[in-house]
Parts: sequence; C-alpha cells; structure tokens
Amino acid sequence: MLRVRATFEKKGRSKYISHLDLNRCMLRTFRRSKLPIWYTEGFNPHPYYSFALALSLGFESSCEILDFNITDDTMSMDAVHDALNKVMPEGMRIVKVAEQKQKITAIAKAEYALSLAAEDSNALYEAVQQLVSAPEILIEKKTKKGVKTVDIKSDMEIISCTNTGLSVDLVMRLPAGTQTNYNPTLFIEALKNITDTVFEIADIRRTAILCADNSIFE
Amino acid sequence: MELKDIIEKHLLDVQKPSRYIGGEVGSVIKDKSKVNVRFAFCFPDTYDIGMSHIGMKILYSLTNERENYWCERCFAPSEDFENVMRENGIPLYALESLDPIRDFDFIGFTLQYELSYTNILNMLDLAGIPIFAKDRSPELGQIIIAGGPCVCNPEPLADFFDLFVLGEGEELNLEVMDLYCEMKKKGASRLEFLRAAAQIEGVYVPQFYHFNYKDDGTIESMDVTDGIPATVRKRIIRDYDKVYYPKNFVVPFTEIVHDRASVEVLRGCIRGCRFCQAGFIYRPFREKKADTIFEQTKCLCENTGYDEVSLASLSTSDHSDIDNMLSKLIDYTAGEKINLSLPSLRVDNFSESLLNKIKKVRKSGLTFAAEGGTQRLRDVINKNVSEEEIMNTCRIAFEGGYSNVKLYFMMGLPTENDEDIIGIAELAQRIVDLFYSIEDRPRGKGVQVSVSCATFVPKPFTPFEFEPQDTREMIEHKQKLLLSSVKSKKIRISYHDPNVSMLEAILAKGDRRLCSSIYTAWRKGCRFDSWEDYFCFDKWLEAFSECGIDPSFYANRRFEYNEILPWDHLDYLVDKEFLVRENKTAHEAVTTPNCRQRCSGCGVNKKVGRECFATCKSNI
Repeated sequence: MLRVRATFEKKGRSKYISHLDLNRCMLRTFRRSKLPIWYTEGFNPHPYYSFALALSLGFESSCEILDFNITDDTMSMDAVHDALNKVMPEGMRIVKVAEQKQKITAIAKAEYALSLAAEDSNALYEAVQQLVSAPEILIEKKTKKGVKTVDIKSDMEIISCTNTGLSVDLVMRLPAGTQTNYNPTLFIEALKNITDTVFEIADIRRTAILCADNSIFE
Repeated sequence: MELKDIIEKHLLDVQKPSRYIGGEVGSVIKDKSKVNVRFAFCFPDTYDIGMSHIGMKILYSLTNERENYWCERCFAPSEDFENVMRENGIPLYALESLDPIRDFDFIGFTLQYELSYTNILNMLDLAGIPIFAKDRSPELGQIIIAGGPCVCNPEPLADFFDLFVLGEGEELNLEVMDLYCEMKKKGASRLEFLRAAAQIEGVYVPQFYHFNYKDDGTIESMDVTDGIPATVRKRIIRDYDKVYYPKNFVVPFTEIVHDRASVEVLRGCIRGCRFCQAGFIYRPFREKKADTIFEQTKCLCENTGYDEVSLASLSTSDHSDIDNMLSKLIDYTAGEKINLSLPSLRVDNFSESLLNKIKKVRKSGLTFAAEGGTQRLRDVINKNVSEEEIMNTCRIAFEGGYSNVKLYFMMGLPTENDEDIIGIAELAQRIVDLFYSIEDRPRGKGVQVSVSCATFVPKPFTPFEFEPQDTREMIEHKQKLLLSSVKSKKIRISYHDPNVSMLEAILAKGDRRLCSSIYTAWRKGCRFDSWEDYFCFDKWLEAFSECGIDPSFYANRRFEYNEILPWDHLDYLVDKEFLVRENKTAHEAVTTPNCRQRCSGCGVNKKVGRECFATCKSNI
C-alpha cells in the first residue's frame, strides 16, 4: 500500500468551498479518478483520506495537504498526480504527489500572505506597523471552554510588510497543527480595534505549511 | 468593476456562498461570441432545492449539446443574498457566465409547484425584467417562458409569461429555440416570433387567448386571435427508451436536497389514483429498457463521482422488467460501493432472491401512502392498496428487524366523513398491535408509527378537478378528531397547515384574473410561500381582497361538469369525458382497474395513435 501525500492549490472560485464541502468534493474526485484508493474495512467501508489542516472559507491556498492510501504498490506518483488533475474541480490543482515522510504532528506553523486594500494605505500601514511593533496583541479567542484572552504576538512572526500605495501586503507565520491554531483574521480583528482607517481584505492565502524549524512539511 | 468582482466582494457575508458563484464540476462553459441563443434555466426556489430537479439536468445537458446554444442555471437567492443584491445593484445572473439574465434570449422557469409563483415575480424583478409581458420591448429577445407540471393550468401566471411549453421538453424546447434563432437572423419582432411559435404543437402563447366571464364569475367563452390554434396539445416523447438522457450532472459543492445521481426509469403511471395530477398529466405510460437504465446509471456514476444513485419514476415497481433491472443494478452498485436508493417501490411481488438483494441496499424506513383511513375511502380515490397488503408488508418488515413505519394520509378527500378520520387512527393502532403480536420482533426500542396528514388539494386534469376543497373549519375539526382518536403513545401525528393547502388549491384551479392578486401579494412581500418561515396567509388574503377576488370561489366551490374550466383549451391527452366518468365512479365508491389490467379509455392511446404498452417487456 502506498501512503500518499498530495499538495494542492485551492484558488479562484474554489475558495468558496467550505471545509465540510471539500470533504464531499474530494470523495467524488477520487471516484471520478478511478484510482485504487484504500477503503476502510468496517461495516460501512469508505475511502480513507484526510486533510492536514482545515482552510477557512474564503482563503486561497497554494499548499493544502491531503493524505490517502493507494492499494496498488506498483503505481507511480506521476500516475496518481495525472489521474487526479484530470478530474479536479475548477481552481483546484494537484502540484505535488509524494510518499508521506513526516507524521502529521510535525506541523507547527503555517504561512499566510494577506493583502489589505485601503484608499489611505499610508494610514493603514502606520496602524499595521504599530501593531507589529507592539509588545503584545491581546485578542479574545473562542475555545471549547468559553472565551479567553490570549496574546497572539508572542507566537506570531511577521516575515514582511510592504505598502504598495493601494494596499498593505503582509506575510506572516502563525502556529498551526494539532496543538494551537491561530487564524490570520485574528490579526485583522486586532487591527480594526486600533484604527478607523477603512480597509478590506483583497486577498488572503495560505502559502506554506511548516515544521517547527521552518522547513516545509513533507 | 466586473459583476463577478462585485459579487465576490459580498459573498463571504452570506450563508453557503458556493451557491452563488458557479464553477461546479460538470457545469458547461462556452465562448459567448460563438453562441447564437442563450437560455437561462431558472428554478424559482433556492439552489439547494432547484439543483435536485432532474428536469433541469436533462434540459440543461440537452441544450448544451448544441454547440451554438448555451443553457445556464439560475436560482432564487436566499433572503440574505437577495438583500446584498438589492443593496449593491447586483442583477440576477446565471451561474455559468455570471452574466445578467436580462440580456439572455430566453429566461425559462420550471413550474414545479404553485407556491413558487411569487418567487418567479421576485426573480424577474431582481433581474430587472418587466414583470408583465405587455411591458416588455417589442424587439425580439428576453422571451419569458415556462414549462413543468403546473403549466397544465398556467392561467394565474398568464400576464407574466410570453409563452408556455406544454408536456415534455426534450424535442419542443429545441424547436422553439431553432425558430427563435432563425427569426432573430431575419430581424423579426417579439410579436412575430410569438405568432410563429404558437403554431408549434405544445406552445401556448397566453396573450392570444381572451376570456369572457358570466355574472356568477364562471367562464362564458374564450376568444382566440385569428390564425392561432384554439386548443394546445401537450408534447410527449414517442420513443422514450431512446430519449436523450444526460451523461453527466453538475455536481454541487454544497449539500443539496437530493445529492445523488438519478436515473429516470419510466414516465407516466398505470395506477390512476384519482387525486394524483402526475398520474394523469404524464400519460401515456412509457419505460426504458433495463439495459438502457443500467448503462445510464453506470455512465452517470462514473462521470459525476457520486456514490449514491436513485431511480426516479412515479412507481418503479410498475416497470415490466423490474426483477432483471434491479438485479443488474444491485450487482453493479454493490461492486462499486455505490448506494442504490429505491424510492416509490412496492415490495409485495418480488422473487425471494431479489428481495434478499434489496434488503441489503434498502436502509431507509418503511413508508406507505395509504391516503385514506378506510377501504371505502380508498376505493373512492382509487388507491388500490388494501389493509391486508399493508399488514402483510409490515409483518415482513417487523420480522426483518424494522420498527418504524411511516403512513401518509390525506384529509379532506371527496366524500370523507368522521368514520374515515377515525379509521386513520385505527389503522395505525392495528399496526402497533401487530408489532407486539410478533414473537421475534426487534427488541429494545418498541414500535413507532408516524402518521402524516396532508390536506387534499383538487388539481386540474384529475377526476377530482371538479371537487371543492374542505374549508379550514372542516379540516380543523378533522385534525382535532384524529388527535382525540389516537390512544397510543407509539403513534405520532403530524399535519400540514390548511392555509397553505388552500392557497395551493386557489392557484392550481385559478384563472387569469388571479394574476393581479399574485402580483399584489408579491408586492406585499410574499415569497418562498412553500417555506413555513416565510408563508404569510394574511398578506395573501389582503391581496385577494384588494383585487376583488373571493378565494373560496376557486378553492371551496364545486366546478360543474359542463362549466368551461380555465384549462379546458389545453389538451393533456386525457379526455374530459373520462375525468367526468371517473368522478362519478368515485362518488359511487367504485374502483377502476389499473391500465395494465384493463384499459379504462382515458383517450390517450387514441390521440397518440398506439397501444400504451406496445413497447413494454410484457408485450414483446
């Protein structure tokens, strides 16, 4: 049995497919591909597959990860790659298929690129800078046990921040995986708390899923 | 800014945004510069409901097989997105191109149920298209067209539509589009096109027909514009086994009501239940060969990737080759781990081996449409199911491990009395008693008998088209009586809002004087009338009153046999004399055998020019 890890893009209109719907969508994609996917062996057999991280509705991504098993050991990774791409929905494309190298628990963070459009991008840039240099960013986060106040700043890495004149573009890394998950919209909420400058999210996409040492999760 | 960008700007603010942006697997995209005719197929309800409609899937694929025609989908937005559209000036658009439908050649609606009528007006308004046909441009384009079951009496919508297509659309739709394409090249006007279209069999252009009324409100006479046929006959597909069927469906991302592949196995019904409109307007009975059904099932499952498929028909068990057909299908679906769902299946006359196969795939509960509480009433409505059959099937089911039974009834049927209502409770009680009399019954949960009562709605082209509907007071009395007749906690009763059924009856049996009431009700905010959360009968009553309409004239009045009915000029192949005869037989509580047992002379075979069962397996 081949333990396969596929990396796929989710762009354009496909960003409106919710995580729940994506599950159903992949099930049908597998069936259309006619790949020999391994089925669970219980009372109600179903194809076994899982996504490494859920992606928020409205986010694009160039690095989503999908794990599944192929029962035919002789099958090449290229063949799996091609069979899936022939039947993937618009906006979704497999970019890489390889054997699973690391355990899913190795995922520690995810990188996001945000583009915040504002008429007064200078004012927005100033507000973003203020937030970036603040010692802490306290936000209210809903958990299973209720609302609690957390500081996202300590776990947040700002990779770049540029003012294009039309927008403020940010690249940031946030904790992700089985332990802690921060959504970049938390940063945007914090931004709205400190500025009256009108802006909107022109683009938001996940660009990498990383291990603790910043290497790409494979 | 492009329309797509404006839509996307607001899409994350609404529920289930993938319903509004297209891009689904199986959707057809064309180069609009190479397309001659653009057709917006509109379903007057939300995406979740409309995407489940099999007729849309057929006509969508069929039209798109033609290189120079492009059929796209359009649905009613939910309230949240409608607000976004209105606030931001987003006109109603089609999901493939995201272009406004007002620029299309045809804007076609499917009329599946009467309570969707206000949604049609709302969609036209959202599209920026004049609501009334008379207000549209004299130039050719923006033809508002409708088909579907409710078109058998389209009169309450006559003022809003340019033309109606009667019967099955597989051939008719393309003929209408071909004519349009040809006349558009010649620079014809809207009126010239409509006059020419009215010559096609199955096309009804309401503006060419005029009604005169008597003082008592009934129809005095109908005048037809010169050169226009006085009656319009519905179209049928003669070689149903060979009729086009889609090789692929648009597969939605969001979950819809019937989220599965679906294959049509037969059209028409041999049963002749006297309340059932589908049983008459879809005649004659025709079926596909078992091999055809198998191939279509396989093809659809492979192309869509669905892991569930269902068979669509009015009564699948009436297929003449059912054993062979199901056997083939079950072997395939079991091998491919596909779930086969078999709605409207009678399990009484199968071979043992097939029954065992079916048991493996049938996980759903047991449902009986008994419709009437006593044998007398079931004879009146010609529902040929006996209590013995119900009990036998329940016994088999209980012994096989089932413990839930669902029973469907109607209230307010012609000749119904208190005894028939008490009969419903008694029948349910006997099923409960049967359960506890069985030695090896399922242990643990106990039995649950769910009784669901709809209110009878008389419909055109049925033997009950003449019948008055019970008034609300009568229905409420019967509902109370039923509740007080139930003694066991194992029996659960549910029923529909009688006001909804009354509106349905008014719209089903109405004439074109109702157009202004529908318009007024919509202006008052009525839409999604079939949704409990939105239905507002008071607004409808206000609308009727403002328009000088007495709703009970349509719902609660007996229509005379010799009265000109609003739909008399439409020919659905079934003779009116036959319906009168069946109505009289009903009042004598006498049944009519099903079409296979004996032809009852409904007139369809004469008009079609051949025997009804000529192509079925039993006759080959």
